[in-house]
Amino acid sequence: MDIFVTGGTGFLGKHVVAKLLADGHTVRCLVRPTSEVEALRSTVSEEQRPRLHFVPGQLQKLTPDLLAGCDAVCHIAAAMKGATAALFVDNVIGVRKLLKVTAEAGTKRVVLISSLAVYDTSGLKNNDVLDETCPLEPQPQLRDPYTYSKLAGEQVAWEAYRAGQCPLVVIRPGVIYGPGRDPLSSRVGLNFGKLLIKMGGSQRLPYVRVEACAAGIALAVTTPGIEGQAFNLLDGELVRARTFLRYYRRGHRGLWVIPVPGWAIGPLAKFNVWYSKRSHGQIPPVLTPYKCNAMWKPLQYSVEKAKSVLGWVPQPNTLDGVQGL
Amino acid sequence: MSSEKLRVALIGCGQIADAHLGEIRKLAHAEPVAVCDRERDLAVQAAARFEVPQIFDDVEQMLATARPDVVHITTPPHTHKALAIAALRGGAHVYVEKPFTVDVAEADEVIAVAESAGRLACVGHDQLFDPCWVECRQLFEKGNLGDIVHVDSVQGYDLTGIFGRLVSSDPEHWVRRLPGGVFQNTISHALYKITEFLPDTRPHIQALWFPTPDSGGLKSELRVMLRGEQVTASLISSFAARPVQRLARIYGTKDTVEVDLEARLVRKYYKLSAPGPFAKIEGPYRQSKEAKRNFWKAVRKFWKSDLQYFAGMNGLFDRFYRAILTGGPPPITHGEIRRVTDIMDRIFATCQQQELEFARSNS
Ligand SMILES: NC(=O)c1ccc[n+]([C@@H]2O[C@H](COP(=O)([O-])OP(=O)(O)OC[C@H]3O[C@@H](n4cnc5c(N)ncnc54)[C@H](OP(=O)(O)O)[C@@H]3O)[C@@H](O)[C@H]2O)c1
Repeated sequence: MDIFVTGGTGFLGKHVVAKLLADGHTVRCLVRPTSEVEALRSTVSEEQRPRLHFVPGQLQKLTPDLLAGCDAVCHIAAAMKGATAALFVDNVIGVRKLLKVTAEAGTKRVVLISSLAVYDTSGLKNNDVLDETCPLEPQPQLRDPYTYSKLAGEQVAWEAYRAGQCPLVVIRPGVIYGPGRDPLSSRVGLNFGKLLIKMGGSQRLPYVRVEACAAGIALAVTTPGIEGQAFNLLDGELVRARTFLRYYRRGHRGLWVIPVPGWAIGPLAKFNVWYSKRSHGQIPPVLTPYKCNAMWKPLQYSVEKAKSVLGWVPQPNTLDGVQGL
Repeated sequence: MSSEKLRVALIGCGQIADAHLGEIRKLAHAEPVAVCDRERDLAVQAAARFEVPQIFDDVEQMLATARPDVVHITTPPHTHKALAIAALRGGAHVYVEKPFTVDVAEADEVIAVAESAGRLACVGHDQLFDPCWVECRQLFEKGNLGDIVHVDSVQGYDLTGIFGRLVSSDPEHWVRRLPGGVFQNTISHALYKITEFLPDTRPHIQALWFPTPDSGGLKSELRVMLRGEQVTASLISSFAARPVQRLARIYGTKDTVEVDLEARLVRKYYKLSAPGPFAKIEGPYRQSKEAKRNFWKAVRKFWKSDLQYFAGMNGLFDRFYRAILTGGPPPITHGEIRRVTDIMDRIFATCQQQELEFARSNS
C-alpha cells in the first residue's frame, strides 16, 4: 500500500513509519521545514529507503494532489502543548483541513490517532472497566487544553464520517512510552523538575509501549472493513502508579516526591477551585475535581477489541516494558 | 455612570484573546457578548471556555446581530485597519491590540473614522497601566525623579517559545511580512514606555537591525537611539539575550529608577554617603533592605490576590470603558496612538536605510 503519514518525524510517528516500511508499504511523510528528517531517515534501512518519501508542507496548507494515488492516510501529527487556540489550530483545524483534502482526493482509509483521554469517565465508579463503549467527554472545555483539542479534533472526524465524507478509523492510545521518552507522566503525578507531587498511587497507569502502539496503528491502516470503529491501545498488564514509581526512583535518585493520597485529591481540587475563584484567577484552577476524576480515578482498562478485531498483540506488561528506559 | 453594562465583542480568538476575555469578565461594567473568528473552531473554543453567548465567523454579521458597544480586535496587525473601521462604522468603540496598525497612514484612517463617528479608539499599550509602571509614573508626577534626562527600554523575546518557533519555521508567516518584521509585533511595549517620557513628535532617530548567527536569517536584534528636545532614549530588542527581560530605566535629574515588568518591581538607585570602601558596603546594605521591603510587599500582595498577571490590561480596559461610559478623557489619546505609530514607522525606515548603506559599503 501507499500510505500518507503526518507526524512521521515525531516520537510515535517514527515507529509507525518504520513498521509500515517493514511491512513492505510505501510511505509518504509530511514534513515541516523544522522537522527532524535526518533522525527519521537514519532509522530506515538502505533497502527500505526508496519506499520512503518526504512531502514538505503543513497540515493547514495541504492540497489534494499531495494525496493523489495514496491508499490510506495515517494522521499522527498533533501539537502537544501550548495555549488552547494554538492547539486548536493544529489539532482541530488541522484535522478539518486534512479531511477536506482526503475527501477531495478520495482516500479510502483515514486512521486518526486520538487519545485515551477523550472518554467521559465521570459515569464510571472506581475499578469499573473503561473500553470503547464508554461515551466521549461531554464537556471537553473543562478538561486540559490538549485533551480539549484532541476531543474536538476527533469530533470533527466523526462528523465527517457520519456525513459519509471520511472512511474513518480512530486509534486511542494510552500514554505512550519507549526509548527517548521519559515514562514518568502526569498519570503518576504533577512533575516540576526534580519535584513530583504524586497523586494517589493505587490507580493503574494506562500506558502503551511505543512499538506495540505503532504495530496497532499499522493494523488499523490495513485491516479491511473496520471503518467507523475506534480502538484503545494499552499494554496487557498495567502497573499501579505506586509500583511504577518505586521502580522509577531507583533510576532517578534525585526525585523529591510529595505524596497526595487518593482520598485527598478531591478536597485538594476543591480547594484549588475555591482559591482560584477567590483570588480572581491569581492562581489558575489547574486541578479541578473534574480533571482529577478523569486523570487519577482507579479504573480497569480493556483492549479486547483491538486484540480480537485487529489481531493486535500488546506489550504483555508495563513493568517489563519500562525496564531500561 | 449608568448601571448598564457595556456589551463587548472580540474579533480574533488566538492566544491573547484568552487574556482579554478573562479580564473583561472581571470588570463590573462590561460583559463579553460575542466572539468572532474566521476559523469558527477558534471562536467556539473561546466561547465555550469564557461562557460567551454568541459565536460568529463573519464580522459584518457579528456587528449587525450582536450590536456590541465595544469591539476588541486581537487579530494579526495587517488586519487591524479594516476590522477597526468596520467596527467603528458599525457604531462600536474599538480596542485594538498593539501595534495599532501596520503604519501611520492606516492609523490616520482609523482615527479619522473614529472621530467622524464620535467613537473612541484605544490601543493595547497595557503595560502603562501595570502597577509597577503606575508607581513609577507617580514618582515622576510627585517630582521625585526631577526632569527626565534619558530612558532605557529593553524588550527581550524568546524565539524558542511556541509562537517564536512558528515564526522561525514558517518563512511565509504573517509576522515576517510586516514592514518591521518580528519587531513590529513586539516593540510597541518597549517604545511606549519611552514615549511616555519623551514628548517630541519627531525625535531624531538612529537605528539598526541585524540577524544573529543562529536566528536562521531572521533579523532578530534591534538597537535604537532617540533624541528629543529634552530627553534621549535607547531601545534594545533582543532575541538572544537571556533572561528574557522587560525592563526600563528612567534617569531623572534628581533620581533614577529601574522598572522591572517581569518581577513587577520599581528599583531605586542610591546616592551613597559612606566614605571610601564603606560606600561599597553601604550600597549592598541599602539594596538588601530594599529587597526585603519589596519581598514582603509582594507576599502581602499575593495574600490579597493582587498579583494578577494581566493587571495592566485590566487597568487599561477599566479606564477605557469608563471613558466611554462617562465621556471622560480616554486613557490613551488618538494623538498618542498616532505619534507612537509614526515613530515606529520611522524606526523601521531608518533600519532599512541603514541596512542598504551597510550592504553598499560591503560591496
Ligand atoms: N505521547 C503520548 O503519550 C500520546 C498519547 C496518546 C495519544 N498521542 C497522540 O499521538 C500522536 C503523536 O504523539 P507524539 O508523542 O509522537 O508527539 P510528538 O513527538 O510531539 O510528534 C508530533 C508530530 O506532529 C507533527 N506536527 C505537529 N503539528 C504539525 C503541523 N501543524 N503540521 C505538520 N506536522 C505537525 C510534528 O512535526 P515536527 O516533527 O515537525 O515537530 C511531529 O512529527 C499525537 O496525535 C498525540 O496526540 C500521544
